[in-house]
Amino acid sequence: MIIEVKNLEKIYSGKVSVHALRGVSFEVEEGEFMAVMGRSGSGKSTLLHQLGLLDTPTKGEITIDGINILKLSEREKTYFRLNELGYVFQEYALLPELNVLESVYLPFMLQGVDKKEYIKKATEVIEKVGLEHRLHHLPRELSGGEQQRVAMARAIVNNPKILFADEPCANLDTQSSKTILTMLKEINEKLNQTIVMVTHEPDDRKYADRAIWLKDGEIEKIE
Amino acid sequence: MALIFVNIVFISSILLGVIDSINKQSVESLFGNIIIEPKEGETYIKNVDFLEDIINGTPGVLGSSPHYTSVSILKKKTGKDMKTGGWQVKSVNIAKENNITNIHKLMVAGKYLEESNNREIVLGKEISGGYDANLEYLSLEVSVGDTIEAVFNNGVEREYKVGGIFSTKNTQADSLAFITEKEMESVLGSRDRASEIIIKIKEGGKEGAMIAALRKNGIVDEKIKLWKDYSGTTAGAVESFDMIKYILQGIAILVAVSTIFIISFVNVNSRKRQIGILKAIGMDKRIIITSYIFQALFYTIVGILVGVAVIYLALVPYFIKNPLDFSLGLVTLSVEFIDVAIGALFLLAAAIVGGYFPSSKVAEKNIVESIWGN
Repeated sequence: MIIEVKNLEKIYSGKVSVHALRGVSFEVEEGEFMAVMGRSGSGKSTLLHQLGLLDTPTKGEITIDGINILKLSEREKTYFRLNELGYVFQEYALLPELNVLESVYLPFMLQGVDKKEYIKKATEVIEKVGLEHRLHHLPRELSGGEQQRVAMARAIVNNPKILFADEPCANLDTQSSKTILTMLKEINEKLNQTIVMVTHEPDDRKYADRAIWLKDGEIEKIE
Repeated sequence: MALIFVNIVFISSILLGVIDSINKQSVESLFGNIIIEPKEGETYIKNVDFLEDIINGTPGVLGSSPHYTSVSILKKKTGKDMKTGGWQVKSVNIAKENNITNIHKLMVAGKYLEESNNREIVLGKEISGGYDANLEYLSLEVSVGDTIEAVFNNGVEREYKVGGIFSTKNTQADSLAFITEKEMESVLGSRDRASEIIIKIKEGGKEGAMIAALRKNGIVDEKIKLWKDYSGTTAGAVESFDMIKYILQGIAILVAVSTIFIISFVNVNSRKRQIGILKAIGMDKRIIITSYIFQALFYTIVGILVGVAVIYLALVPYFIKNPLDFSLGLVTLSVEFIDVAIGALFLLAAAIVGGYFPSSKVAEKNIVESIWGN
């Protein structure tokens, strides 16, 4: 088991506090492709942010690969994100000044890998997502689908233990969505990559091994 | 950034230019670099020829000129209004004086003294009046060719024709009258004496070493002073300008620091989302903060270099060709390395602070809040 979530709660405090997650508990096996599904406002993205160490839950426990990640210091969380996790966001989250190659080798560079090595590895990964002809293009010169493939390449270049994808097809047309989801499935199967993907699209369910359905911050069902 | 830097240095350089102009006038029109005065308790320096041999034999001395000085009553003898006043009359040995002071080059009417003009007197514009004199109400209101009577401090009375009027733009110098040394010796019945000997040296700023050399060479009992000791009212002006310079420099630096801080703050805030993304993929916030500090430092260093180029290659040559005509003299830009260094150091410090605080504030933010703003 690679992810173990126990009684997870997240309350956004403010003028009106919002109870986004209400005691969520589940497990994800290594190499599993898990979909987190539900309607808008059900708590899907909030759950992903807690699992991916992008946010801190109000209560509960998250264990990844045997490590209670909520007990890590801020600095340890940073290195954990860099070395063990990968992210694909809904709106690509690419840096506008970096070209395709630079965007993909950035995590490698942060790990202190030798320049020749990270350029070689990044180029290989870019080839895998079919963008070898776009190496020196900036994000604004790419289509939405291509930008999302760059984000995927950046997410997997470090061989993360878990790849988190937050509505990766929300801004894409049907064809591009299919390409991205097929690619995620291939990565999952060929590399035994654990993937947790948030989606509101019922059709996307077929790509995942299992799905957690959330409703009002609670698990409605796991199928 | 370059303009901010130029602003810091420019203000202090103009004021320093004014100070330099005042100081230069004091040295060139009045005192030379060093002044020798009589021994304690004596009115005149004795054995002037002997002392001048010592002075001019000292390496680094450009020349010397002895003066007799007499506070005298000057009276206008011609015209309707017979004005009178107490003014300082000095004697000059023309051949020597012309190597030390520049008054002979600053005549606004008539001409300077010649050795044979023993019955002529040249007046500063404050004594004659006219030529935008500052002390017009005290002046004799005389012109070149008019006759004035001088009553010297030993009671001797002589009449002189006004041979010339000069304007140095230094009120202290423009309040002097000059007659020839031969004439003054005849008035005072004295020879080989002087009230003061002014000395010009080759390199300004080395007055201390020169005084030590003069003492060593045999000028033991006479008082030796620096031109600064005599600058009187102008010294007060220099102090005031110095104070204004520091205040304006401080304000310029404060403005620069605020500007850098605001630019950096806007820059970092507009990249809040990118900082969030970098943190999400595992970039340590210290790297993010350091990169923004380096970015601010880079722009600041480029700005300083461009600013230095603008100052030394454009502004300084421009003001040398087109000096500002202040009432106290022609003013050029006087750029001191220390002002450039202080300006640069403050800007670099501002860049570090301006890079650090905004970026650390954003880097401390929650990643979700940085990327999605909720």
